[in-house]
Amino acid sequence: MDIVVCVKTNPDLQMVRVKDRVAVTEAVPYKIGDLEKNALQAAVDLRAAAGGKVTALCLAVGNRKAAEDVKVALAMGADEAVVIDDPALAAPDQAAVATALAAAVKKIGACDLLLFGEGSTDNYSGQVGARVAEILGLPQIGYARKVEAVGGAVRCERSMDDMLETLEAPLPAVVTVVSEINEPTIPGLMQIMKAKSKPLQVWSLADLGLDAAQLAPTREIVSNLAEEQDRKHILFDGSAAEQADAFVNALIKEGVLGR
Amino acid sequence: MEQVECIVVGGGLAGLSAAYGLASAGAEVMVLERGDYSGAKNVTGGRLYVKPIRRFYPELWDEAPYERPVARELVTMMAGGAHTTVEIASDRFTAGQPQSYTVLRARLDQWLAEKVGEKGAMVVPNMKVDELLRKDGKVTGIRAGEDEIGAQVVIVAEGVLRLLSSKAGLTSEPQARHHAIGYKEVIELPAGVIEDRWRLNPGEGAAHLFMGDCTKGMMGGAFLYTNKESISLGMVVGMDDMRRRRDGSESWQLLDEFKELPQIKPLVAGGTVAEYSAHSIPEGGISQVPKLAGDGYVVAGDTAGLSLNALVTVRGMDFAIASGYFAAQAVLKAKEAGDFSAAGLASYEASLRDSFVLRDLETARSIPNVMENPRLFTHYPQAIGRLLESVYTIDDQPQAGIVKKAWRGVRRDFMSVATVKDAWSMRKI
Ligand SMILES: Cc1cc2nc3c(=O)[nH]c(=O)nc-3n(C[C@H](O)[C@H](O)[C@H](O)COP(=O)(O)OP(=O)(O)OC[C@H]3O[C@@H](n4cnc5c(N)ncnc54)[C@H](O)[C@@H]3O)c2cc1C
Repeated sequence: MDIVVCVKTNPDLQMVRVKDRVAVTEAVPYKIGDLEKNALQAAVDLRAAAGGKVTALCLAVGNRKAAEDVKVALAMGADEAVVIDDPALAAPDQAAVATALAAAVKKIGACDLLLFGEGSTDNYSGQVGARVAEILGLPQIGYARKVEAVGGAVRCERSMDDMLETLEAPLPAVVTVVSEINEPTIPGLMQIMKAKSKPLQVWSLADLGLDAAQLAPTREIVSNLAEEQDRKHILFDGSAAEQADAFVNALIKEGVLGR
Repeated sequence: MEQVECIVVGGGLAGLSAAYGLASAGAEVMVLERGDYSGAKNVTGGRLYVKPIRRFYPELWDEAPYERPVARELVTMMAGGAHTTVEIASDRFTAGQPQSYTVLRARLDQWLAEKVGEKGAMVVPNMKVDELLRKDGKVTGIRAGEDEIGAQVVIVAEGVLRLLSSKAGLTSEPQARHHAIGYKEVIELPAGVIEDRWRLNPGEGAAHLFMGDCTKGMMGGAFLYTNKESISLGMVVGMDDMRRRRDGSESWQLLDEFKELPQIKPLVAGGTVAEYSAHSIPEGGISQVPKLAGDGYVVAGDTAGLSLNALVTVRGMDFAIASGYFAAQAVLKAKEAGDFSAAGLASYEASLRDSFVLRDLETARSIPNVMENPRLFTHYPQAIGRLLESVYTIDDQPQAGIVKKAWRGVRRDFMSVATVKDAWSMRKI
């Protein structure tokens, strides 16, 4: 079974600071997102069971070192990597990302299963997997916590809060995975060294037969901020018991408790 | 066992500098760095003296990501609530190529790691080396987790703690007596505020050191370096003094108390603490420099004890970069001769001895002893403050003449047997 795993590199969220309500990403390194690593691990596990080849596919948005960073995917076990890097893709929307990825999947050719994380650690739109499935006309299973190959199909389990759902789709198919699916392995030094000689290609939009105009964003995100809440600045005096009473009363008065 | 030509343990400035030199000459190099990226775990005060290292890798230093060239130097002696500051802003500090810049390691080291990668070296972050492999006294490679990788030469640049090198018997275990503990905060302030507070032209920076009460009489001092849009404010205290103090206070409390002083508060007012870090510093001087090379290995940077705290100038980064450069040159020579034994790598120590690195450390040989004199951090800051304070004080009594006031202070605080002894011990620094 040949598997393509879409891996996105995100700014390392631990390193991003917020200043004046804006994320400071200057000098923040990028790395492959955690959910993408789950998807990659799932692919490596499937390959162990069903054979085939794993290709990591990365669209380099805003990360000029993507071709370097994607080597982590090779060290984790992917056989090959493809990076789509083009200046026209500086700030694409989800539609453009999906268009470019779908074109790349077609160009890669052999693909029985296309894996995604359920969302990316930075924007978390959760749209890209479904959009690519739509463009390619493939069946899609979202939020899988288990993936198995059964004959010519993929069988997935997903958690629906009070029940587990088991779905099967004929291959080729698209599956997005959640973090419970596995614990990604941390590659050892030897694997990292071996990754160096694995094939890695960098494609531009022209290589995919796309032009920038096709990918121009249809929406522009002007601002993306959590709602600002004013603090009440209420201080309580007295003994611990008095403070607790006053606190509970205040919560009731605010309508937070005892509704 | 998989083999590479050179393994560099530690992607700090020393390790990266060595890797840059080696990769530039086409050697096969792998840098292993425990942190998420180079710079993630590295701590410095904040000032890199660039003049000494310009001739190594000249293409690098004009484009390095510095914060500000240091145009103004200040040193404050503080005791008994009096702060006396000496200040110099010289045209020569910044004319042409400035002699020093403030830096932030997260940025500087990451940039250098990228340069090293561009030269063809493999820089592997998130990779902790667990052991230096030795066979018949020769260092033959490293072990990281399950994986053992062989190398013709290992450049050990693991920083100050020497966990690997002391375990492998290449260096001794670090002793508290020869180290200081440093910790600092990066406090964000707008560029304009920084330039106003330290009276700087746009883009220029200041370096401000403090000694005396800030360390409660312990060996050490405080430092403040201005970055582009933040200041690095921290403290360095002798580890032995810190261990022996009896007041139960924690090291970080000193910094908090320092920030609350009426003379310091306005300098940090309105700032946001963005980062906190701590690290130890080798301060043993040249007498604590270990054997620099042996069969199959060299040691560089802090691992080799190459740092120098001379009270008003603090150096370690320039030594780290220089030692990395010389290590690379020595390894290249050894490669040419096909001899990676101690003899084949001997040019490393020779070139360090010829260079400013071991020469400046030699010149400063007596500094660690002088610094152990507590009067440096108690009596003198107080005496200077008292003297100047008296000159500037007008109260309701008839005033003595200025010269008389000054003389009184000099006689009281500087003309004692102890001072003469101190002066004698300091004659060589
Ligand atoms: C508070 C403070 C203030 C200072 N102020 C100044 C100053 O103003 N100017 C100046 O020039 N110097 C200053 N110094 C000294 C200077 O910072 C150091 O001398 C310099 O950082 C040494 O560089 P290095 O590369 O030898 O070590 P480091 O920068 O410590 O690099 C060692 C690297 O090795 C890695 N490592 C360690 N163990 C392993 C392992 N097992 N496997 C893989 N990687 C490992 C670490 O993660 C680290 O990245 C200051 C130091 C401190 C702490």
